[in-house]
Amino acid sequence: MIEVIISALVLASLYGLVAIGISFTWASIGMLNLAQGFIFTAGGYAAYLFATFAANAHVSGAALSIGVLVAGMLGSAMAGLFVGAIAFLPLHDRENFRTRSLIATLSISLIGTQFWLLLFGPQNQPLPPIFGDGRVEIGSAGISYGQLGTLIVALLVLGAVIIWMRSSRAGLQMRAMMMNPLGAAVVGVSVRKTGMQVLAISGALTGLASVLLAQVFFVSPTSGVQPLTVGLIISLAGGLGSIPGTVAAAGLIGLAEALTARYLQQSFVPFVLFGIVLLILTFRPRGLGGLLEDVRE
Amino acid sequence: MAILELTSVSAGYGPVRVLHDINLEISAGERVGLVGLNGHGKSTLLSTLVGLTGWQDGSIKFEGEEIGGRRTHGTGRRTPHIVRRGIALAPQGDAIFPGLSVKDNLDSGAYTSASWRTRKERRDRVLDVFPPLAKLLGQSAGTLSGGERRMVSVGRALMSDSKLYLVDEPSLGLAPKISLSLVSALSSIDIGDGAMIIAEQNLPLLAGRVDRILGMHAGELKLDVGEALGDVPPSAGGHH
Repeated sequence: MIEVIISALVLASLYGLVAIGISFTWASIGMLNLAQGFIFTAGGYAAYLFATFAANAHVSGAALSIGVLVAGMLGSAMAGLFVGAIAFLPLHDRENFRTRSLIATLSISLIGTQFWLLLFGPQNQPLPPIFGDGRVEIGSAGISYGQLGTLIVALLVLGAVIIWMRSSRAGLQMRAMMMNPLGAAVVGVSVRKTGMQVLAISGALTGLASVLLAQVFFVSPTSGVQPLTVGLIISLAGGLGSIPGTVAAAGLIGLAEALTARYLQQSFVPFVLFGIVLLILTFRPRGLGGLLEDVRE
Repeated sequence: MAILELTSVSAGYGPVRVLHDINLEISAGERVGLVGLNGHGKSTLLSTLVGLTGWQDGSIKFEGEEIGGRRTHGTGRRTPHIVRRGIALAPQGDAIFPGLSVKDNLDSGAYTSASWRTRKERRDRVLDVFPPLAKLLGQSAGTLSGGERRMVSVGRALMSDSKLYLVDEPSLGLAPKISLSLVSALSSIDIGDGAMIIAEQNLPLLAGRVDRILGMHAGELKLDVGEALGDVPPSAGGHH
């Protein structure tokens, strides 16, 4: 049972990072970013390139680990800015921005997969282990260094971002834009500048998830598809735009996936996850978020 | 000196033209009332001054600098520049941030200007104008009453270091007594060499509390309604 809980927590923290990126982006600029999977993969390949370079330059130990993490986050942040330059900046003050940006991000996602395929080939690429090998025993169960490190780093970075959002001036501007775009405009918040900041931060969180997930799986041209799907499910179930709602939904979905994989079958996971989100949206159309805080009016 | 100068300004949204050929000059130190019925373009005129209409034509000069000019799209693209340049709007419907505290809502009015560093003194000045807000600083703005929300919205505009304050329908949806105290507060604020435009449906509420009243009808300005209304006694009045 403890192993299921640990596995649930690890999944929840990884998917939660992706989902919060999707949720932030939707709430602040009204764009459902279907290119989040492309951004995810970009981080994985950036980390892979750094690891290759580091191997040639004989970098190892903590420098390698931190370098891989930072490279992944930077790579995804840049990919986020790239998506913004194509799907947000030219379109955001035109009619039907939501539909147009949906199509634009979907296109980036589809073309992006082919682009990675051309550039890196179809084979899976491993990343070096960041947290070393070994495990900590808890009673009869154990938790590997990889799982423990993933949990700690994910929670630390997420916590830091939330504190920064709540206390800094740039963070207040983002939250203002999420709660009331007109109010943000009249106090002089620039939609374009703040929107690009949101895309960069959402990208960096996704890149972190990408590097951490690559500790278990590999980096491949399609490695962003599953995180995008689950990230969308969580952000919808959490009520797009609500941080507490997203965190709660990530916990729920992570637990559901871990339980299904353990007691049923891995292949049932998508059915169970989509079933849960359908149930939540049937009874609470605005997701879990409205239960937990004042969301956008 | 004219702080604001509009020359044949038209504006609207998509195919709809709301403002027709507006000419207007407002001097430093002036407090101007803008009256007219709902849907006749008062809010659109205030919105167009900060670049928030769909399109705009004609010239808008603020302290001699062109802030308008012909524009067919890009709603809100110039707004941050205009706000930083010194025009603050308290929009209709308040547009406050429901999940932020009253204090953060007020501070947001000082986000983009040099006034961020002096936000505490500025907040104290706003609290002098709206004393009921002092007890509510820590409370989430989403839980406030209509009158309190209006005070937060207007107070947020006052937090900035602006030269031109635009207040859209301060009395909308409020009890007569509360609207009266709000408009009185607005008329008592020291605007120095700045200016203020108050858009309002309730004409008697403005009489005697502004320097000049302009009428607005079907998207056109009728200048100097004020002279004809010079002898309207200042009272709370009722909505007509």
